[in-house]
Amino acid sequence: MSTRSIGQEFVKGLWDDNPVFRQLLGLCPTLAVTGWVINGLAMGLATSFVLIFSSLVVSSIKKFIPNQVRIASYIVIIATFVTIADRFMAAFFPLISKSLGPYIPLIVVNCIILGRQEAFSSKNSVGRSFIDALGMSSGFVLALLILSSIREVLGVGTFLGLQVMGTWFKPWIIMILPPGAFLTLGILLGIALHIERKTKARK
Amino acid sequence: MSLSARMIIVLTFVGLLSGSFLATVDLLTKERIELNRQREIEEAILQVVPGTHSSQKLYEEKDLTVYGGKDKKGILIGFAIQASGIGFQGKITLLLGTNPSIKKINSLKVIDQKETPGLGAKINDRESFLKFWDNKDCSNLLTLRKPAVKTQEELGYSEINTVTGATISSEAVLNLVNSSLNRLRQLEKEGELSSEEQDVN
Amino acid sequence: MELVAIFVSAILINNFVLYYFLGICPFLGVSKKISSAISMGLAVTFVMTITAVVSWAINHWILIPHKLDYLQIVSFILVIASLVQLVEMFIRKMSPPLYQALGIYLPLITTNCSIMFLALLAALRNYSLAEAIAFGVGSGLGFTLAIILMAGIREQLDLADVPEPLKGAGIALIVAGIMALAFMGFIGMIK
Repeated sequence: MSTRSIGQEFVKGLWDDNPVFRQLLGLCPTLAVTGWVINGLAMGLATSFVLIFSSLVVSSIKKFIPNQVRIASYIVIIATFVTIADRFMAAFFPLISKSLGPYIPLIVVNCIILGRQEAFSSKNSVGRSFIDALGMSSGFVLALLILSSIREVLGVGTFLGLQVMGTWFKPWIIMILPPGAFLTLGILLGIALHIERKTKARK
Repeated sequence: MSLSARMIIVLTFVGLLSGSFLATVDLLTKERIELNRQREIEEAILQVVPGTHSSQKLYEEKDLTVYGGKDKKGILIGFAIQASGIGFQGKITLLLGTNPSIKKINSLKVIDQKETPGLGAKINDRESFLKFWDNKDCSNLLTLRKPAVKTQEELGYSEINTVTGATISSEAVLNLVNSSLNRLRQLEKEGELSSEEQDVN
Repeated sequence: MELVAIFVSAILINNFVLYYFLGICPFLGVSKKISSAISMGLAVTFVMTITAVVSWAINHWILIPHKLDYLQIVSFILVIASLVQLVEMFIRKMSPPLYQALGIYLPLITTNCSIMFLALLAALRNYSLAEAIAFGVGSGLGFTLAIILMAGIREQLDLADVPEPLKGAGIALIVAGIMALAFMGFIGMIK
């Protein structure tokens, strides 16, 4: 059972236990859709939807699920919400749905979601699981925003499609291509670890 | 209750619940998704066959679909061909609009491409590439002008301007257009393009 | 010829790891030693090939005829999870040391995005059974290639002087970036 306060339960997802920068989970979509801020945002919100609702359902029915079939049950629950998110986007946001393509269904194998059910929602109350999911989702969206902002601004000079760099700037196209994704994330991870070490040393 | 029985019951229950949820969502969103898809095609056809009031799918094979654009009176005013082929980095899908005699190209629209941003991807750019296709006479085989020229006037009658630094992507588009036009003419000669009853589906 | 094109492009041009960003977790986790990289790569290729067949069968014989395509995501992931379970039990019986070596990464194959992506893309592109198999084997081998190359480089990196914050995942990703850059040279190979 968790002994943190509600506030701490939420905040941990933003930095200390940030799913991308610290737990190194959910890297596939993080690298794939962060070429454009709008895509990163959409993916983050879709994933948040799946994570929050899955956590709510799992923590509500955890007492009824025998241990041996828990993973299978979590998978079915997660896959259901992913399908709902996928259909919803195709119906009401067709343009974004098209540019995110097959990466939305891939939310079902995003280790963050299954990981959270296994590590938290199956062992905590509905309320706490909700806050935990909220925190992890925010951390994930934050990571996607940071990565996609860097990639879009440096790669094509725009942010959310609006020109932000002047004409003096020669964009580094490589940033929105695969190599740029790997390099940016690698460097960001290095920076995150560096900051962590510095703050630990100071305490 | 034995453990196995419980396991089966729980799994079946979760499965059924999930199935019914999804069936409901499918019912709620199916129409909208189909409408989006249709609207996308119709808007694209309107762009390459101006004045289209209604469109109709006339023929379909792998990587090639032919639509007919009709005016208010139901008379055919042009063809819209959706064709796919391999470009430099992936599949290119075009929508080509021609007049009914297949002698003139109204305009060209790039529906999907994965070429290099800043270079090959410029085949989707009006100023660099697409404007040179407007109202182009295509009664003869179209060719590519290399190196690229600056103005429309410098181009020959059947010449299309290349995108600077993206010869392969430009050639891919040109070949796709030429082969699609040939196929369209062939289909018309064989009588495959007669109108059917239903509308764009 | 179409089959060969699908096969080769899956390995080199549209490499699942370096182009589509799939399978990153095992890519970073199991690429420290060449031997475990090879085992992981082959296990994944095996699961991918069978998944390609089974998901094709389910899609074409059950889902599409009954207009149940909205159940694709749920059924595919269940197929993958079950297959991985079976493979796990098989390896545990056949070769306990291999089972120990792969450890926790074996069940993690289920969440390996590349397998799910494979099933979804084959369904989306309406591949025939033969094309799906070519795609499955090709992308599995592409994953194996990337992970072995990465392991080779990392075994050397262990002896080099990497700055502290970059050790582990950081430098692995940077290396992956450079590899992705190199693989971009394969673009245009298939006309």
